[in-house]
Amino acid sequence: MSSSEAHQEHEHPWYLAHHFDNIKVQNYAVRMGMWLFLGTEVLLFAGLFLGYTVYRYFYPQAFEECSQLLSVGMGAFNTVVLIGSSFLVVWAYHSIKHDQVKKCAWLLFLTIVCAGIFLVVKYFEYMHKIHEGQLPGKMYTFEGVTAPGANMYFSIYFLMTGLHALHVIIGATILAVLMVRVMKGKYGSHHNVPIELGGLYWHLVDLVWIFLFPLLYLI
Amino acid sequence: MKGYILVLVALLIGTVVTVVTGKMDLGSFNLAIALIIATTKATLVVLYFMHLKDSTGVNRLVFVVSIIFALVLIAGVFGDIMTRNPVSLPHGGPVPRTGTPSSAMHLPAAHH
Amino acid sequence: MAQLSVVNESEGYLKVNYMNADRGIMSWVLTLDHKRIALMYFVLTMVSFFIGGMLAEAIRIEHLTPGETIMGANTYNRMFTLHGVVMIFMFMIPAVPGIFGNFCLPLMLGAKDVAFPRLNLLSVYVYAVGAGLLVYAMASGGVDAGWTFYAPYSLSTPATIFPALLGVFIIGFSSILTGLNFIVTVHTLRAPGMTWMRMPLFVWATYATSIIQVLATPVIGITAMLVGIEHVFGFGFFDPTRGGDPVLFQHMFWFYSHPAVYIMVLPSMGVISEAVAAVSRKNIFGYKMIAYSSLGITFVGFFAWGHHMFLSGQSALDSGAFAIISMLVGVFTAIKVFNWVGTMYRGSIAVNALLFYVCGFLFFVVFGGMTGIAVATVSLDVHWHDTYFVVAHFHFIMVGAVLMGVLAAIHMWFPKMFGRMYHEGWAMVAAALIVLGFNATFIPQFLLGNAGMPRRYFLYDEKYWMLNVASTAGSTLLFIGFVIVAIYLIYALKHGPIAGSNPWGLTGLEWQTTSPPPKHNFIGQPTVEEDPYTYQKKGEKVEHVVI
Repeated sequence: MSSSEAHQEHEHPWYLAHHFDNIKVQNYAVRMGMWLFLGTEVLLFAGLFLGYTVYRYFYPQAFEECSQLLSVGMGAFNTVVLIGSSFLVVWAYHSIKHDQVKKCAWLLFLTIVCAGIFLVVKYFEYMHKIHEGQLPGKMYTFEGVTAPGANMYFSIYFLMTGLHALHVIIGATILAVLMVRVMKGKYGSHHNVPIELGGLYWHLVDLVWIFLFPLLYLI
Repeated sequence: MKGYILVLVALLIGTVVTVVTGKMDLGSFNLAIALIIATTKATLVVLYFMHLKDSTGVNRLVFVVSIIFALVLIAGVFGDIMTRNPVSLPHGGPVPRTGTPSSAMHLPAAHH
Repeated sequence: MAQLSVVNESEGYLKVNYMNADRGIMSWVLTLDHKRIALMYFVLTMVSFFIGGMLAEAIRIEHLTPGETIMGANTYNRMFTLHGVVMIFMFMIPAVPGIFGNFCLPLMLGAKDVAFPRLNLLSVYVYAVGAGLLVYAMASGGVDAGWTFYAPYSLSTPATIFPALLGVFIIGFSSILTGLNFIVTVHTLRAPGMTWMRMPLFVWATYATSIIQVLATPVIGITAMLVGIEHVFGFGFFDPTRGGDPVLFQHMFWFYSHPAVYIMVLPSMGVISEAVAAVSRKNIFGYKMIAYSSLGITFVGFFAWGHHMFLSGQSALDSGAFAIISMLVGVFTAIKVFNWVGTMYRGSIAVNALLFYVCGFLFFVVFGGMTGIAVATVSLDVHWHDTYFVVAHFHFIMVGAVLMGVLAAIHMWFPKMFGRMYHEGWAMVAAALIVLGFNATFIPQFLLGNAGMPRRYFLYDEKYWMLNVASTAGSTLLFIGFVIVAIYLIYALKHGPIAGSNPWGLTGLEWQTTSPPPKHNFIGQPTVEEDPYTYQKKGEKVEHVVI
């Protein structure tokens, strides 16, 4: 590509930044940027997964018994909700690629509703734990399980689900912003990478939960 | 679109399987099976919902490397705690399972 | 040399450049220009360096006598903690990537900006917020758990540790954003014709650094968060009284903090690669080896964290494994040193401040590196752990190597950034003072540590008195050297002679545009048709120039 042809003016849509030569390069760059960011999120949660595996190794009986105190039904329900929301968000991305603006907006809305349902269920779970005194750290007063390490289980439970819930809230916010922009007509078959990126973040939230659910609730 | 529905169904089936096998008592296999199912579900989400299958090599490398380093962290720490002098471990080492459940509530006993 | 569509070189000073192209305070506050962002980092990190330096001087003055000199024990704990926190998180990690990565990376690649200019601006503000929190923590009584904030003391210290931890967490975010930005920039914004093997070595070093920033920083983030939460809510993750494992904290902490030292040193190594070619006026010897060894350091450096924990209770098996891997990392640094020296061999050596910094760097990285291998030997570290030997080792690398790199970068790129040259005579005086002062400060500390003086102790035994005085005297020389550098650089900003596009006569795209560069870096799109270092053609002999 010779230097004098680089400064063309006929193809400069509003969503193309001036330092990128064309939209293909920009899309490549923002996707890579998002995957790098997801990599950092993996390592953020890795620290907590490390804590879980270490303390499970130290206190196997306490961990098993405490996990039986969790409601498998609520956990499984939340898993289905998140998996469903993952499906909805990828459907939304598919729709906008085919210029189905209204459908995309609705699907994003439903995804956010799923996030809300997830959080409501979590709220009930947390309330139950507060009631039972199954709280982290200084606030632990539960005496139902006497095997050593039970308090550690609940500390880890709250840390992991808490950080995850924070990401659910952030993800839902991102999707809400995208939904508004979709309704304003900013995206379509010509430009839809932001929906893809928002979806990627949401899928990460789902991925973390896919591991959290069996580790905390089932085994 | 059809592909996404197939993946959704697979994920839901996986969820059912993991709940059912989780309730069964399979000894030390419980953990392994749960992790295998979770990893399979995660792989499906990453490859198809997140389109990593159709993505550039760099993005795949980024994701895989981050997982690998997370595993390096866990492996390095386990290398330590499994070979440390038990005196320097919390509670003097992994707490051995007692035959009876420690819970005051009537929960199914841990048979492992 | 690379080609431009319009010749952009000039002997003069570009009147309308990136600093004055847009006027008004908001054009700076909301700038998306990587060069302006670099200047913002310059100011912020230099202020941090000054604060960290003052804290260091306070420690050295306190150690002038074995007993209490100018402060009590609790204050002393806060001094060494904050010296570490400020120097590491507020200066060394952001400085070279933030200033020179930002300024030079796009120029070296022939790009108009970094991949995500708005994220770049965000990274500066995030840094400022995190730094502000750290300063607030300092002002409201300070932190006393050491920059390493080990559990269980960090969980229960009465000091205001939470704002400091939050500050560290937030600054970490800035580091991640910078690293992410640079990786994508290198992948997507190289000029046409610039293959990976035609990138300048500073770019390779910055790329390798960015990988570490992205992968490692989240772990310190979660660790700081966990300690903060434990401090406030008593979660018990690391607290032995609640069934936690304090050594687990050390694992998580050092998983980041060991690669972090490579975040600090790799960019300086990249600078030195450029500076070595500059002062020798010779093609880099072993370009590929230097490039690959940067990646080698990045990856192998992630597997070595346990060498900080030999005496923590960590198992002998793990310690042994970490020891061997740590020595492996030394191989990559050695490869670089041999290649740099090989570059200088039979080169046309320019005698100037840059040369002094290059030579200082080489000397310090060799001795710092070798003492690193020494302390990586488990049986020897039993004697040296937590003594001044370790302190001297890491200061040889952090101050000796990293800081020489920072100073070399400032001197090499000052004319490019500001269009003016500094006074070479004073620069050489300051460089000599800094190198000598550094040796006078830290060589006694090796001797002190080997003789058994522990680190982070408020009092010391009488037998260590003389060496401590020597070390403090050396630090005064260092301080004077830095003051001189500050003076002539600030003077040169307004009164230095005009530099022109390429005052050093170097290869590299950044020298093919004016000094200071225009807002959009180049006129037209540069293309690259040659290797990055083309002082001599293949087989051509070095032309020895007397300047």
